[in-house]
Amino acid sequence: MREEELPYKGIEGIPIIKEPGSAAKVNRGSWRLVRPVHNRDKCTKCKICYTYCPDAAINWTPDGPEINLNSCKGCMICVEECPTDAMTEEKEAT
Amino acid sequence: MQGFKSIRNLPEQDYFTGGSSACAGCGPSLGLKLALKVLGPETIIVNASGCMTLLPLYPNTPLKSSWIHNAIENASSTAAGARHGLDMLGNEDMNVVVYAGDGATYDIGFASLSAAATKNERIIYICYNNQSFGNTGFQWSTATPYGSETKTTPRGKNNPIGTTVVNKNMLKIMGAHRVYAATASLAYPVDFLNKLNRAKERDGFSYIELLGSCTAGWNYDPRMTIRISKLAVRCGMWPLYEIENGVLTLSKDFSELKRIDEFLKLQGRYRALPQDGVDRLQVLVNEHWGELKEYNGHRYV
Repeated sequence: MREEELPYKGIEGIPIIKEPGSAAKVNRGSWRLVRPVHNRDKCTKCKICYTYCPDAAINWTPDGPEINLNSCKGCMICVEECPTDAMTEEKEAT
Repeated sequence: MQGFKSIRNLPEQDYFTGGSSACAGCGPSLGLKLALKVLGPETIIVNASGCMTLLPLYPNTPLKSSWIHNAIENASSTAAGARHGLDMLGNEDMNVVVYAGDGATYDIGFASLSAAATKNERIIYICYNNQSFGNTGFQWSTATPYGSETKTTPRGKNNPIGTTVVNKNMLKIMGAHRVYAATASLAYPVDFLNKLNRAKERDGFSYIELLGSCTAGWNYDPRMTIRISKLAVRCGMWPLYEIENGVLTLSKDFSELKRIDEFLKLQGRYRALPQDGVDRLQVLVNEHWGELKEYNGHRYV
């Protein structure tokens, strides 16, 4: 639905967020102390890392997971849960 | 309806993006991401004040669905109102979902939840249970299990146990409202999303309680979020079951439970719990599990 078609216009003076999913462009990568690194050779495309990422920082492509380092906060759930050790961790340069 | 079979065939779309202000490894945030996979963008999420209120911070939101925030007491009333409004407009496909913490469910918002459940409003209530008032700094709530340390029940010389009261059995209370009530875990996303699908198709109130591991409050390494959720199920601290029309069904049945020590030793909130406290907690867990096994497939409430 386009904005002018919306039945609810909001109250004057009270801001409403009009763009869905706009937080994706916020950089949370600076929270990270370690970063996940994906190794394509060991990956079995089981989708476990993609499903368990709490920040939706892993996008699914036909070639397997793709890490979005702009959103990744470095919780390392993907590294811990990967059954084939295709995800490894690497220290961020400080 | 055919349910999901494995993680591989869960829906691929995400209606949740990164960039929120939740902690790294946040359990409830992962729960919302998974829930939106099934609910889709045609959803109004009603939120009671809590950790998840901080997800959409002006001018950014990680959600691709609508969001209403209301006070901690009346999320269920707001949702019921939204449902009635949508029905009047003829928009019956829109989902109305409450996403509220355990403080808003067990304690402060219990009256409005009970009213909405009694009137059998067509809404889905998801409680992300982090077993405390997490957003204000981990204070005791009636969902806090025996033996857990919180800010308001600290361990000391006179009270080495921490929380000395036993948490209330919310599923039994909700089951007694004659609605669909189920527990879910982040470590079993297929089970969670199948239950959510079931709730979505019902013409009435559904209550799903999700154990939302809290890295800051439970005091563990963020990478352990899924492992701790899995251990909670395997140790019997968080059994997975559903109650419909008063009949209990275990979703994950184990012939033998693991000892709870494995679950406790990963978390800072149980670190100084003395051995007699651990033994007492084990007895409580075994009692609850025994009760569930006994009533599996039978009338529970």
